[in-house]
Amino acid sequence: MGTQTYAHETITDEKGRELVVKVEGLQKYFGKNHVLKGIDLEVFKGEVLVLIGPSGSGKSTFLRCLNFLEDPTIGEIRVGDVHVTCGSHGNKFKKDVHEIRMKCGMVFQEFNLFPHKDATENVTEGPILVKGEKKEEATRKAHELLTKVGLGERMDFFPSQLSGGQKQRVAIARAMAMDPVLMLFDEPTSALDPELIGEVLKVMKDLASQGMTMIVVSHEMGFSRDVADRVVYMDDGYFIEQGPPSEVFFHPKDDRTKRFLRHILPEKEPEHAKELGIVEVDQELPDPDAVEGPPQGAVGAALDEGNFKDTAIPEIPLSGGPMGETPLPPGDENL
Amino acid sequence: MGIALIAALLVLVVTALTPVASAASPAASPSTAAATAPKGTPIPVGVIPDPSAVDTSGNGKLWNGDVVEVNFSPNGSTLDPAKCAVYINGTLQKLDAPPVVQYLSPATPTLHFSLAANYQKGSYDFRVIMVTTKGVKIEKTWKYESQGQAGGGLVKWSVIKNWWKYIARGAIVTVELTVISILFASILALFGSLGRLSKKMTFKQAWDRYQSWGYMWRMVLGRIPYWIATFYTSLFRGTPLLLQIIFIYQVTPEIIKAFGLPNTLNPPAFWSGVAALSLNYGAYLTEVFRAGIQAVPKGQNEAAWAIGLSGWQTQRRIILPQAFKIVIPAVGNDFIALIKDTSLVSVITVEELLRRSQLAGAATFSFMSTLLVAAAFYWALTIFFSFWQAKLETRMARDKAREKEKGKAK
Repeated sequence: MGTQTYAHETITDEKGRELVVKVEGLQKYFGKNHVLKGIDLEVFKGEVLVLIGPSGSGKSTFLRCLNFLEDPTIGEIRVGDVHVTCGSHGNKFKKDVHEIRMKCGMVFQEFNLFPHKDATENVTEGPILVKGEKKEEATRKAHELLTKVGLGERMDFFPSQLSGGQKQRVAIARAMAMDPVLMLFDEPTSALDPELIGEVLKVMKDLASQGMTMIVVSHEMGFSRDVADRVVYMDDGYFIEQGPPSEVFFHPKDDRTKRFLRHILPEKEPEHAKELGIVEVDQELPDPDAVEGPPQGAVGAALDEGNFKDTAIPEIPLSGGPMGETPLPPGDENL
Repeated sequence: MGIALIAALLVLVVTALTPVASAASPAASPSTAAATAPKGTPIPVGVIPDPSAVDTSGNGKLWNGDVVEVNFSPNGSTLDPAKCAVYINGTLQKLDAPPVVQYLSPATPTLHFSLAANYQKGSYDFRVIMVTTKGVKIEKTWKYESQGQAGGGLVKWSVIKNWWKYIARGAIVTVELTVISILFASILALFGSLGRLSKKMTFKQAWDRYQSWGYMWRMVLGRIPYWIATFYTSLFRGTPLLLQIIFIYQVTPEIIKAFGLPNTLNPPAFWSGVAALSLNYGAYLTEVFRAGIQAVPKGQNEAAWAIGLSGWQTQRRIILPQAFKIVIPAVGNDFIALIKDTSLVSVITVEELLRRSQLAGAATFSFMSTLLVAAAFYWALTIFFSFWQAKLETRMARDKAREKEKGKAK
């Protein structure tokens, strides 16, 4: 396992930014299904990390493991100064998990607002119950936050009265009300109508510009390009490739990344796709593995530059993983 | 108290229908008559229809119209029923069956005539000829103003008129039983359902996951609520409600006795009934609540955990309020069913609707009337509560939010 990190120990990167998240050797099984196969990650204060990858690659699971909505099977997770060894149990473990949850704000794809509470109550629920704030104080803060996300007019509206975009903005305010050191976004715009995506992304951009540390699972390429410090391509339970958005999006090194981008770029970023010579979604598909003849376009050129001779994907061993450890027997999803 | 009421009712019945005990006609009472009549002559001591019966019971001046009876003191004689006869307004009556002597009370047997005709409201002169085996012949005559009633068909309106209030007081007990029981049942069901849902993983999964005896031991302790709840629902859903009612009513005093406690601690029938109904319906509602809690989307749990709420806070503030809304129709259904199932506690002498209608029926010999009254009350109660249940449902289903918006629009 990697180097031990201890609570109370402040770690900084070369720019002097504080370490917010450190994940070492994180693995997750759903029964016999090995979903995360050993993930290491460090995120520093103010960094915006965007996770991309095909469905089933473990992006959401990884995000949910960070605040223990899924119980990771093994690995080490440190958020702020709380350090948890996954797979343990007992009161200390529970307390640490609770603290990590308080430090992480989470925004869900399906909003998950409390339908029986209005926008303000949704936001004040955490501060009042968990932090023991006075109701007036919490309400005042909630109003501030709701105004900030552009819902000053709708503070006493119930979720059923709000559009998807408004709901998601309330959800962001709700997560922010706990003063998190880290915000987790699990495909925050995937359930939204196209015209509502912008308002949510704007709020997220504002958050990022204020120096909030964020981990975002999203295929919004525009957002990633403008805001992300780092893009991680995830596939089959591993981090395949990571780097600045310009690198990962337009000069991907791994062929799986290339193939994935060929799927999503024309849809998400038509302008850039055109620049790169990709015009239609699923161009050269349905079976990209079987592509014969000279590849086309910039991505194709990258393919051509040839660290490999054919386009077939190399087999990834399904058991073991990079850590070389024997897979644990099936764990449980609940804490 | 129940016993006292039954006793009072019995007195009522006796006064109304069998003048034997009431000494309705002092002139014909055995003591005075016996002194005057020679031995071997039967002495009439009471008649049906009884002209001196009081009107308060509701059937004092009411006569079934098809039966005439004379209670008599044999005074050393034996009647020959075949030779006895009854005249009404001077007409010899045809009978359904030969007259019989019934020894309901050995000291004062009853000479019973079953008339072929059926007499309605009216004024009648009765003359009964009694003949002994030794040929002694005596006559008993009396006048009777019948209010009709008895002759007027199966449903006797006068019985309903006179007894509905008595039965209505039983309906109040029924409502009390229902409301108190559903409250206790809901409380039981709340904890029962939380117990049923407390199982998170199997022991095998836990062992595979943690390989720790300490964890397994705490898991065994943590599993106890689940076991209790499962045992409880299984037991009370698996045995008849009637048995549970009788069991609690009969066995609790036995237990109290076995522990040498005074029998003043014996539970009253009412509370035994409440206990049985609550436990039984609690078991059913446990499953209802469990389904309701599980019907709340999983994302609600996750959202609550993500902002740091504890398990109990999540349940109380987020899950249960939503689950409550979901289970209202089902609880309403069970409430309606419970109204009717309270009738079962009539077997342990709780004077609710059914028991009172039975007592009234016994007192008036018209179960048709009194049971119809009970049925009407049950029906009215279920309609009434169904109405409010529907109201509550629409109210809960309606968005609080839209309400607010409407308020704003105005």
